[in-house]
Amino acid sequence: MSQQSAFSSPGFDFSNSVRNNFLQEKGMPLPKATSTGTTIVGCLFKDGIILGADTRATEGEIIADKNCEKIHYITESIRCCGAGTAADTEFTTATISSNMELHSLSTGRKPRVVTVMTMLKQYLFQYQGHIGAALVLGGVDSTGPHLFTIHPHGSTDKLPYVTMGSGSLAAMAVFESSWKPNMERSDALALVSAAVSAGIFNDLGSGSNVDACIITATQTEMLRNFVKPNERVEKERHYTFRRGTTAWKSENIRDLIVNEDITLVGATGDAMDTS
Amino acid sequence: MATADGGAYSYSLTVFSPSGKLVQIEHALAAVSQGTTSLGIKASNGIVIATEKKSSSILIDDSMIEKVAVVCPNIGIVYSGMGPDFRVLIARARKSAQAYWKIYGEYPPTKVLTQEIATVMQKATQSGGVRPFGVSLLVAGWDTNRGPSLYQVDPSGSFWAWKASAIGKNMVNAKTFLEKRYNDDISLEDAIHTALLTLKEGFEGQMTEKTIEIGVVTVPTLEELEAGKIGGETGRPKPTFRKLSEEEVRDYLAL
Repeated sequence: MSQQSAFSSPGFDFSNSVRNNFLQEKGMPLPKATSTGTTIVGCLFKDGIILGADTRATEGEIIADKNCEKIHYITESIRCCGAGTAADTEFTTATISSNMELHSLSTGRKPRVVTVMTMLKQYLFQYQGHIGAALVLGGVDSTGPHLFTIHPHGSTDKLPYVTMGSGSLAAMAVFESSWKPNMERSDALALVSAAVSAGIFNDLGSGSNVDACIITATQTEMLRNFVKPNERVEKERHYTFRRGTTAWKSENIRDLIVNEDITLVGATGDAMDTS
Repeated sequence: MATADGGAYSYSLTVFSPSGKLVQIEHALAAVSQGTTSLGIKASNGIVIATEKKSSSILIDDSMIEKVAVVCPNIGIVYSGMGPDFRVLIARARKSAQAYWKIYGEYPPTKVLTQEIATVMQKATQSGGVRPFGVSLLVAGWDTNRGPSLYQVDPSGSFWAWKASAIGKNMVNAKTFLEKRYNDDISLEDAIHTALLTLKEGFEGQMTEKTIEIGVVTVPTLEELEAGKIGGETGRPKPTFRKLSEEEVRDYLAL
């Protein structure tokens, strides 16, 4: 019997790890995965949940994306912020979003946040922490608003306000000083904005803009680039060169198109045959 | 050996009869013709699919019966024939739609999904130890490539597109009725009307909002298309297929 192909065997393939360790010892480090250094937050307010995130994606010390989207769609009234390895958060949330749609069609019911949480934690635990996804999951369902954090190894916490990512300490400091239960929408939005901004300005792994998402029982509002505190300023001077700065002695203009012959191709003339 | 009902050639699916037929598939079609009537009509701005929800006894809780099913936000399916076979096919169709979404980031066009389901049904006509699916399906959906389209899939796995079609018990009469009443510019409202009238033709018993199911495909407006997805880049598009609620069906019946 032939060996099982790499595309169908379950779990991760660690057969290169010996070679990689050897190379690392000899001075060639592993390439850095794109990470969302990140500040992601979530908080409960009077009418539901507000999620917030920064928009910087890093690849080691370099910024890979200055305006990436970290608030992922799970279902209409459930969203998930992702910190950690960017590919892991993207694919994990997309997979669970797809499975939730199947689940909802099969049960004939609106999806619940706990179902998403259970699916995510069981998936992450199965991979024993190798999938580097730290998530803030929030949404409103038939049982009310819920907010969870999910760590890469699969542990979860249910809390009224949460922060994750490298900027989580800065953001949590803001939450701990100002969060109160049953806040109004505008107060809660300002708080989330302040928390993410604290991460943006005090953590190198977070930066650029603030994204926010307000989820209530009746609607979900996605505020992409809600605050843009890092817009590039217009330069004070003009650095273009004046025409004539470089002297020239002679001019020769040649047409790239020497001769053009147009022949129509195809049985039906111009139009594509879509029958 | 070559008797009218196929004789010795009718018991094995994987054997052709001398006249070139797979008699098991003919029998499957007979099973479909025993099922309740379903029909679909393609209008200029949408599609309507409808079916009778006939229970074998008044004691059955018919609120649990689902004959018009949503596969993904832009495609819905109705059937005639064996309910359990339909249930299995719908589960497959839903999984197939999600698999397509995971690769392409959009839901499958109607034709692509129909082809997938038809392939599943065909596999059951060329394998050992299985029987063909005893259902015919009417698949209605909208996509950016072809707009609204209506397909019929048979137990053999063959499918083809229709402007209007009927399957099940009363299909012959229903199709004749549709041929007379159909024109290419029929509007969705008129199509729903015509569908109800066609169903009424062969209906045994009272036709109320509890004994029929209707599903509707609407064409999204330009604004809706440009608005993009719910929830940004990774979200889902607004649904174009939906089942009519009992109140809506009652209003249409009252007209």
